[in-house]
Amino acid sequence: MDELYLDNIDEFVNDHDKIVTYKWLSLTLGVHVNTAKQMLYHYLDHKRKESSAPLHATYLVSGKFVDNGQTSHKVSVVKEDQLEDVKSKMSLIVSVHVYSVQKALLKDSGPLYGVDYDAVKDNLKNCSRYSAIRCASAVPRSSVELQQARHTQLAPAPEPEHKKSATNGDATPASKPSTKPQKGIMGMFANKSALKNQDSGKEVKSEQKEDAPVVDEPKSKPAAKANPMMNFFGTQAAKKPEKTVKQEEAAPSSSSAEQQRPSSQPEETHAAAAAPPKNSKKDSRSKTKRLEDSDSEEEKMDKKKRRRIKKPEPDSSDEDVIPDSPQQMETREASPSPKKKAEPVSQSHGNCEMKMRKKRRVLKSRTFVDDEGCIVTEKGYESESYSEAEDDVPKDPIPAKRPASSKPDEKKSQKKASANSNKGTKQASIMGFFQKK
Amino acid sequence: MTTLTRQDLNFGQVVADILCEFLEVAIHLILYVREVYPSGIFQKRKKYNVPVQMSCHPELNQYIQDTLHCVKPLIEKNDAEKVVVVIMDKEHHPVERFVFEMSQPPLLSISSDTLLSHVEQLLRAFILKISVCDAVLNNNPPGCSFTVLVHTRDAATRNMEKVQVIKDFPWIVADEQEVHMQEPRLIPLKTMTSDIVKMQLYVEERAQKT
Repeated sequence: MDELYLDNIDEFVNDHDKIVTYKWLSLTLGVHVNTAKQMLYHYLDHKRKESSAPLHATYLVSGKFVDNGQTSHKVSVVKEDQLEDVKSKMSLIVSVHVYSVQKALLKDSGPLYGVDYDAVKDNLKNCSRYSAIRCASAVPRSSVELQQARHTQLAPAPEPEHKKSATNGDATPASKPSTKPQKGIMGMFANKSALKNQDSGKEVKSEQKEDAPVVDEPKSKPAAKANPMMNFFGTQAAKKPEKTVKQEEAAPSSSSAEQQRPSSQPEETHAAAAAPPKNSKKDSRSKTKRLEDSDSEEEKMDKKKRRRIKKPEPDSSDEDVIPDSPQQMETREASPSPKKKAEPVSQSHGNCEMKMRKKRRVLKSRTFVDDEGCIVTEKGYESESYSEAEDDVPKDPIPAKRPASSKPDEKKSQKKASANSNKGTKQASIMGFFQKK
Repeated sequence: MTTLTRQDLNFGQVVADILCEFLEVAIHLILYVREVYPSGIFQKRKKYNVPVQMSCHPELNQYIQDTLHCVKPLIEKNDAEKVVVVIMDKEHHPVERFVFEMSQPPLLSISSDTLLSHVEQLLRAFILKISVCDAVLNNNPPGCSFTVLVHTRDAATRNMEKVQVIKDFPWIVADEQEVHMQEPRLIPLKTMTSDIVKMQLYVEERAQKT
């Protein structure tokens, strides 16, 4: 029994060419993680003595690290040749153990994550079964307690709502809005996704009647959840999930339009706007299975989030601030006043200024190839007539509609200038990946 | 429990999309792992919920995308038998060939709701296998380049020549020397079977590389 594990590991490493991490080994063989670590160590030792085939190992080092006078606890996975180096840099070493054993020399740490992914996913409910981290008082709630928690959440109160929006960064798992998205995730695993979507869609609709801003928050969460689910099924996927997802999306979008008018306190909405972006970011990090397309996810994110990111750039690049279309007024208090200022300015039609904008701005999405040869999809405000803004590439039919303001030659030269100066106005789109090193 | 046939072009396009996405990621990963290009141009990105390395160089990306754009119609009609990524040395003799053999069942059927997640899991396993393939392969000589070959049927070739899918991106019949390798060693890497596609990945390696 004690020697069998050596053969097992040997088979995994040499015959199957697998990367054997201690976590994967503990889940596969059903042993405690510390036992798995020792197994790997003994195996490595054994094989090195035999010196048959070259084996590579990675180690996990954790300890105290002093950096510019700041002491911090650092945990890192290092390759074998860097091990002594990292160990000497730490002031106090708390633990060193084998992280993985494999035949191939890994060039980067990406595959290490991929190895554990499927094993953990299969054991999602009890992936900490063999773990060394324990807390006696951390016990999952029973369903009765969950029901009670749901009932108390239904009564809207301003103080808990403030607290909730402030602490929303750390997911309160027992709160009602987050159980609905959780149902959404587990619904993808089970075969009841259609039912669950309809249920949560109906619940969302009934909440619509309540006039409290607290509802705004859970709305955006199902909306953010609906979007990953749509991405998961792709653009032309099976029709059944699409329908239910559309139902759910229609409910949140209409309710969010309703809620925007009554909510007049900028602080609350600011906090609420801060919460959905955090949640959608958290959602993108969580293990929802989706054939991810980072383009479409960013495009489908909340309008509020997009607006918030877009705003500072035109502010910094323009003397005249962009006038907003009427529905967006509640995100920034500053926007209504510059809007009034910009309207008379644009009407005076000073076309000699480089950076003037027209009054009617429409949110449009443009896909174009910028000067680096990368395909960029940008959501931007495009005016109906020509615009000299940096991030606008005006299209030909648009100025054709406004013959009064026609200066096509000037537009073309400004188009070149705008294409050249495109570098400065990258917003959170796919270009975020292409950062110059 | 719907059964969609190949005549339902929508679903055929979905399968072709999935495979072309996968091939793009796989080609980038092969270029990274086999050190065809310096690792500085690669950047970590996420696909199928695991980190993969993709290149940032716009011309390289454009080339790979154009290549796969032309291959996609072949995959849709199930004409592409094999897609091969050939790594060649300075004299344009192939040194390694990564062969993706794929075939689709004539009657595509979705038999479960978790089909796409299952496919994702299998493709993830492919990615993982490519990442560790240098355990079984010898190192390549420096100064390698790569190309992509597609094995298909005669009729499809004529179609491709007639209809230039992308302007100024012609496909030509491959030379004999690019297709055949001297003394190849065959190393199987991974096989997958699913409802929508059966795919096999193996590597043919020249016995003496330098």
